[in-house]
This record gives sequence, C-alpha cells and structure tokens, in this order.
Amino acid sequence: MDKLHLDQHISRQYNADLEDLRTELLEMGGMVQEQIRDAISAISNADSDLARKVTTVEDEVDAREIALDEHCTLILARRQPAASDLRMVLAVSKITRDLERMGDEANKVATMAIALVDEGQSSQGYVELRHLAKSVLLMVDQMLNAFARFDVDAAMTVVREDKLVDREYKSSTRELITYMMEDPRSIGRVMNVMWALRSLERIGDHARNVAEHIIYLVKGLDVRHTSVSEMERQVSES
Amino acid sequence: MNMATNTAETIGDNHQTVGTPFVDNAKLSMRNVNVFYGEKQAIFDVGMDIGTNEVMAMIGPSGCGKSTFLRCLNRMNDTIEGCRVEGDLNLEGEDIYGAKLDVVPLRARVGIVFQKPNPFPKSIYDNIAYGPRIHGLVSKRTELDEIVETSLQKAGLWNEVKDRLDAPGTGLSGGQQQRLCIARTIAVSPEVILMDEPCSALDPIATAKIEELIAELSENYTIAIVTHSMQQAARVSNRTAYFHLGKLIEVNETEKVFTNPDHQLTEAYITGRFG
Amino acid sequence: MNSNKPSTIDLVNRNLQKRYRAEKRFQIFGIASIGFGLLCLLVLFTDIVSKGAGAFTSHYIQLTVNLDPDDLDITDITDESQLALADYQGVVRKALRDKFPDVKKRGDRRKLYGLVSNSAGFRLQEILKNDPEKLGEQLTLWVLADDDIDTYAKSKNDAEPFTGRLNDKQIGWVNTLLDSGEMQSRFNRVLFTSGDSREPEMAGIRGALLGSLYTLLVTLVLSFPIGVAAAVYLEEYAPKNKFTDFIEVNINNLAAVPSIIYGLLGLAIFINFFGMPRSIPLVGGLVLTLMTLPTIIISSRAAIKSVPPSIRQAALGLGASKMQVILHHVLPLAMPGMLTGAIIGMAQALGETAPLLMIGMVAFIVDIPQSIMDPATVLPVQIYLWSDSPERAFTERTSGAIIVLLAFLILMNTIAVLLRRRLERRW
Repeated sequence: MDKLHLDQHISRQYNADLEDLRTELLEMGGMVQEQIRDAISAISNADSDLARKVTTVEDEVDAREIALDEHCTLILARRQPAASDLRMVLAVSKITRDLERMGDEANKVATMAIALVDEGQSSQGYVELRHLAKSVLLMVDQMLNAFARFDVDAAMTVVREDKLVDREYKSSTRELITYMMEDPRSIGRVMNVMWALRSLERIGDHARNVAEHIIYLVKGLDVRHTSVSEMERQVSES
Repeated sequence: MNMATNTAETIGDNHQTVGTPFVDNAKLSMRNVNVFYGEKQAIFDVGMDIGTNEVMAMIGPSGCGKSTFLRCLNRMNDTIEGCRVEGDLNLEGEDIYGAKLDVVPLRARVGIVFQKPNPFPKSIYDNIAYGPRIHGLVSKRTELDEIVETSLQKAGLWNEVKDRLDAPGTGLSGGQQQRLCIARTIAVSPEVILMDEPCSALDPIATAKIEELIAELSENYTIAIVTHSMQQAARVSNRTAYFHLGKLIEVNETEKVFTNPDHQLTEAYITGRFG
Repeated sequence: MNSNKPSTIDLVNRNLQKRYRAEKRFQIFGIASIGFGLLCLLVLFTDIVSKGAGAFTSHYIQLTVNLDPDDLDITDITDESQLALADYQGVVRKALRDKFPDVKKRGDRRKLYGLVSNSAGFRLQEILKNDPEKLGEQLTLWVLADDDIDTYAKSKNDAEPFTGRLNDKQIGWVNTLLDSGEMQSRFNRVLFTSGDSREPEMAGIRGALLGSLYTLLVTLVLSFPIGVAAAVYLEEYAPKNKFTDFIEVNINNLAAVPSIIYGLLGLAIFINFFGMPRSIPLVGGLVLTLMTLPTIIISSRAAIKSVPPSIRQAALGLGASKMQVILHHVLPLAMPGMLTGAIIGMAQALGETAPLLMIGMVAFIVDIPQSIMDPATVLPVQIYLWSDSPERAFTERTSGAIIVLLAFLILMNTIAVLLRRRLERRW
C-alpha cells in the first residue's frame, strides 16, 4: 500500500490508468538502468559487443519516452487530475525526460567504450571510472526504489549521493589531468575516459533531478535549485 | 479500503481547520459557527474569513454543509423551520445575527444567486427593477432605467436583451436566465454576492460565461461560491474552503488546494477518491 | 446458451401479444367509462331540453279591447283608487264575447273566459296607468293564453294531445283561433321578467335568478377574501404544530359536512341569535359562505403550495419582506389555482338548496328582490318548488328553469376559465 492511495479512486479505470503510468515508468527506468550498467561494464571490460548492444537499446528508450508522454497527456485531458494525481502525472512526465537523458548519456559512455577498444588496452583512468560508476549505479538503483515506494528518504539519499559523485568527479578529473601532463601521448585516450566520466556525472545529476521530482510528487514541495541542507529542512518540516 | 472509517478517524471531535482560514482584510468573518436543524447539527464549529473582493470557493461532498453555511451569511436559513445558528458572524464588524440588524437591509448588502435560475415570471425589466423598487433606491423612472441597463451590462446580458426588455425573463435560455438573476442581484448594489452552485443547471458554454462574469465581478464585489465542480472552484476562486460532514477541514489558496492540499481529506476529495 | 431453453427475445415476443391485449383492455375501460358519462349527460340534456324547450315560448291570443270608461267604471282617470279597482276583467270578457258572438250559454261563456290568462286584466291596468290618454280608445293586443290552453296548443300535434280540464268546445275555439292566426306562439318574455306565480303562464324566474345572483355575490365577496386570507396565513405564517394540524384536519372535515348542517347552523346563528330576517339573500350568502369556505381554503392552500419555492427564495434573497413576497409573487402566481377553487365553490353554492331551505329561502315570493335585504328565493329552490306543483305547465317550466340554471353555470365557468387564462403565467 503506497502513501499516495493511487488505487482508491471512485473510477477504477482511473486507478488502472495511474497504475499503468507508474509501471510503465518503472519499466523504462529498469531499461535505462540496464543500459547504464551495460555501458559501464562495456567500458571497464573493453567489450565492444556489449557497447553496441547499449546503442541499439537507445531507440527503444526513446519510443518509451514518447509513449509515456502521450499517456500523461491523455490522463491530463481525460481526468483533469488534481493534487497528488496531478503531481504524479507531472512528475512522471518530467522523470521520463530525465530518464531519456540518462539513456543518452549511457549511450555516450558506450560510444567511448567502442573508441577505447579501438585504441587498444591501457589501464589509465579505469580505477576512477569504476569508482564513479559504482556510485552512479547505486544512485540510479536508489532512485528507482524511491519512485517505486514513493520514498522521500530514499530520494534524499540520492540527492546527497549526487554531492559525493560530484566531488569524486572533480578529483578524478584532477587525477586524469596529471596523467595527461605526465604523458602527453595519452591525451587522446584519457580525453575519452574523461568524456565517459563526464557522462556518468551527468547521469548522477539526472538521478538527482528525478529524486527532486519524487520529492515533489510525494510532498508537493518544489525543491529544485536549493541546497541540500535547505532541502532537508523543508522535507523534514512538511 | 473503506474511506468512511478513515474519515471518522481523521476528523475526530476536536478537529482544527488547517491552512489559512483567517485573513487581515476580512469582509465577512465567522467564528465558532454551529448550525442545527432541529436536533441535528449540520455545521460544527466553523471559523473562517472571507476577504474583501475575494472569490471564496466552498467545496465538499453532498451534505457537507457548505450550502447551509453559505445561506447563514445572509440569513436565508431563517426561512427554514427549526434551523438555529450559533456563533459570531460578522459583516464588516456588524453582527449578522445581532438583534440590531434587520434582515431586509442585510440581504440588500449580501445578495444571493441560486442553483436553479429563478427569474420572476415578469418581464426582464421588471426582474431587474424589482430589487431597487422594494428598497426604494430610485425615485425616477430614468434612474431605474439606468440601473437596469448598468446591471444588465455588468452581467454581460445587455447586448442580448436590450431590444426585448419587455419579454418575459422566463423566456430566456438557462444561461441567460442565470445571468439575469445575477443582474437582478447586482441591481441592489450589494457588497457581497453569495452563489449557491450557480452553474449546476447550465451547459458548459453558459458555465464559462458565468465564470468569466465572476472573474469580472470580483473586482468590485466579494464573492462566496458553493460549487460541486472542483474545476470551477479551481478556475474562479482565490481561496478554497473544503467542508466535510459539517466541519471546515481546510482553507487555503486555491493553487495550494489543487496541487498540494494540506489535509488528507481535501486531497481525497479533490482527487476523486470519495465523494 | 442452452439450446432447449428459449432465448430472452423469444420469451418477450411470446408475452408481447398478451401485453398488447392487456394494454388495449385498459384503454377500453377508460373509453367505456367516459362514454358512459357522456351518455348519461346526453340523456339528461335531451330529457331536460325536450321537456323544457316549450317553456321559452307561450301562446298569445289577439284581442280587440274597447277601453270604454263606462265598462271600466272609471269616471276620473287621475283617481288612482278608481284605476286600481276598475273592471278590466269585464272588458277582456267583452272582447272575447265579441270574438265568439255565438256563444250564449252561461257555462260556455265561463269556459270561453277561461281561454285567456288572468294577467290580461293586469296588462290593461298597466297600459292605462302609463298612458291615461288611451281611455276610451280601442286597442288590439296580444294577451297570454291560459296555461291549459297553452299546453294544449303546444301538444296539439302530438300523438296524444294534452286536454286536461278542457272540453271539446274550448278545443274547438282554440283550433279556430289557431287557424285564423289570432292565436300565436311567441317568445315567453314573462319567464324572464316576472317572479313566481300560482298561475303557470304568469310564473317567471327573474326573482329566483336575481335571488341567486345576490346570494352568490354575498358568498363571493365574503368567502373569497376570507378563504384566501386563511389559506395565506395557514401556509405562510402559521407555525407547524399540533394546533395547526388540528385546524387543518377540521377544515378538511368541514368540506365533507352535509350542507343541510350549514343551514341549521345559519338558522341558529344568523336568524335566531342575531335576529336577521328570514328568506333574504344576505343570510343565504352567509350560510353558503360557511359552506364554500373549506373548499376555497383547501384549494387556495394547494395553489400557494404549488408556487415554486425558488421564486420565494429569489424574492427573499433580494431582501423582500415576507409580506412583499406574498403580495408580489405568491398570490399572483397562486391566483389561477385560487380562482379555480373559488369557482368550484361558487358552482357548488349556486346549486345548493338544502341549507337555504333551513333559512326560509323556500318561501313563495312573487316580488322581484331589489337588494340583498329583500326576501328572495334562488334558482335551485325555485326548481324544487315548481317540480312539486301539479300543473302540467309547471313541469315544463321546471325544465326551463333547469336549462337557465345550467346556462348560468356554464356562463360562470366560462368567465372563470377566461379569467384564469389571462392570469396564468408560466415559470
């Protein structure tokens, strides 16, 4: 039983519509999560086949985005949702967009993986990449859980996690810059790794956005563009 | 899942109205209002303000007491036998139920528009002129003509009926009849207009016209509207009050109520979870 | 679906014929009852009209009268007592003798005199009174035939002519007169211009008609305002409690009380207690007011109740006081309904006899009432009185009076319907 009582409308069709919306979003989320995971393992294991698979999934994710948006429009037109239902539809619509962007970033990581495989083996930057990837994957996982359970605490964890990821990204970049200064020949390679890192960091940012949408959905609070401490204060107050 | 049991638990006996029921520039202010029909209590300890030139929407499931409460504001409940009103109801500091206040001038100050358009079976002109005539607002025919014209203009009906002011008011369409009733109410220049589900008998186009009219009128009048259409409340009002089983659950800015209400019951009602 | 079980549509079709037949039967019952009602009405009307049509004509005999002062025994025309006591009858008899000079026998002559109504003498007196110059002149005028003669003349062509007390000689004279055109059937003005009389040919309904009119006027003037006022109070002002319930039950009961009780009440209160004169339309009107009040109150209350509450609320919402609401809105809208009630009450009052018998409006009154304080009778009582009289001519007049009563009723209802149409407003 979730906190939003989505299944308690007088209209059973409405219940079903909202439930469908939620399941579809979770499915899309699962798909994107898979994509990210595959992209990361492709780049860490230099697996160009897996990387190519990631790029093919992209089309399906786009199709999902369009389908979900249409579903949201339909509900808006037919039911004129209010309060939590309205927030649900709006949040889903926004989350879809962020998920699609996350898919795009995963795609970029996969493209970098293919480029790296083509250039041959090297271990420079992989530690940092793995480290960041682990944090990002954890964030995405938590984000999907937060949505599935409408769990504000989990969403807050994601937001806090994003701070960490940002910090890690900065230190990894510094690290990679020293590599490039030490060995100018590796600049091309390291730049590719850097791009991949950058995409992972972006995925983290999108996950944070999703978490904010979840907070809006559950609490009705618009916490975009506020500091984490301020966010924590607002959430605990409401 | 049974909402009814939930409800009883959530309201409880000593409930507190959530949100912002009180404002600074109150036109009407009500405190601790209880209304009884004989032995049965219909309104429980309601307290709220209606601000000057504000549109206050009152929503809630059938039988929640919103109409009863609205009718207290100009003492239309006086005509119902066995109806008893307790508490403080003030119109700009004057006690509405006070011994000093005469109900006739009160109703001239606080007009009411009903659910079903109810023009008198007289001409359009006489419908509008009736109020000013009984209150003796005018002495000359020309003044009366002017009042009729301005009232009809304010109600957005003048262009439709100016050529047939002698035609019976009952011959107009439903939406026109309702605007005629609004014009009739405006004709006595009230300060507050109460509307008791003014659009429930009208088609969407007529409803849209009335809503447009409400928006225009809100510049000069304080309006309290009871409605069953939540979309309507969302469209026309500045603040929204949610009533449930005779209790005032929540009063808040309309945007707040329709995106993120404070009370679980308001949420349940406006999202169609019971009602 | 199970194959051996008939489908729903089959079952429906099977019962359809039965349902149509039942429907048809139901309609036929309705048509039959309306038909029965119409038939009864038709029988009643044909009976009354066929019997009563004769009352509107009567036979007149042409006489040439010589107003000889000697025969009349008048020496001074200005002397009123002489004018009153003059022998008009003799002049009329002389005129008859002149018409039939070969009648010599005393008995025959008496029969001959019986051809003409006694009213002929009064006519002559009237003529002289209006125009004393006529004294000594010879006049040709049409005088009323006696009732038996009239009845015979009317039934002459029937299979069994009414002969009554007439002998063959009289019948012969009548036939001679009819053949020569000296006896003619004319419109019976007497019926509408004179009051009651022992002589059928001289009896009219003017007195009763005016009596009815005065009585109804009193009834209307009293019962309508009182009834409406009572209804308004009970509907709009009276608190709903045991006492008003009690009053309501009593009003409903009063509507069902036999009308003669009201007569007894009127006798006890108005005549015995207040000492009002008997037989006057005022008392009759008072009694009928008592009788029609419940009807008017009940229908007025229903009419007030049927005024849509939305109109009341609209007026109240504009700040109208209770009285303004009632006067400006409720009463105008309820008026058609109240009028209907009043008309039903009036029609009932018009046809009422029993209570009027009790207060003496059944007396034999020849004079035509000039005001509500003059003794009078009313149409239905007049009908009752005439229907009791043995003369054949009265039977005819009874039906004639019934036709007039019905016409009066129809007129009243028509006016009422027109009035109501005008007042009726849509909402």
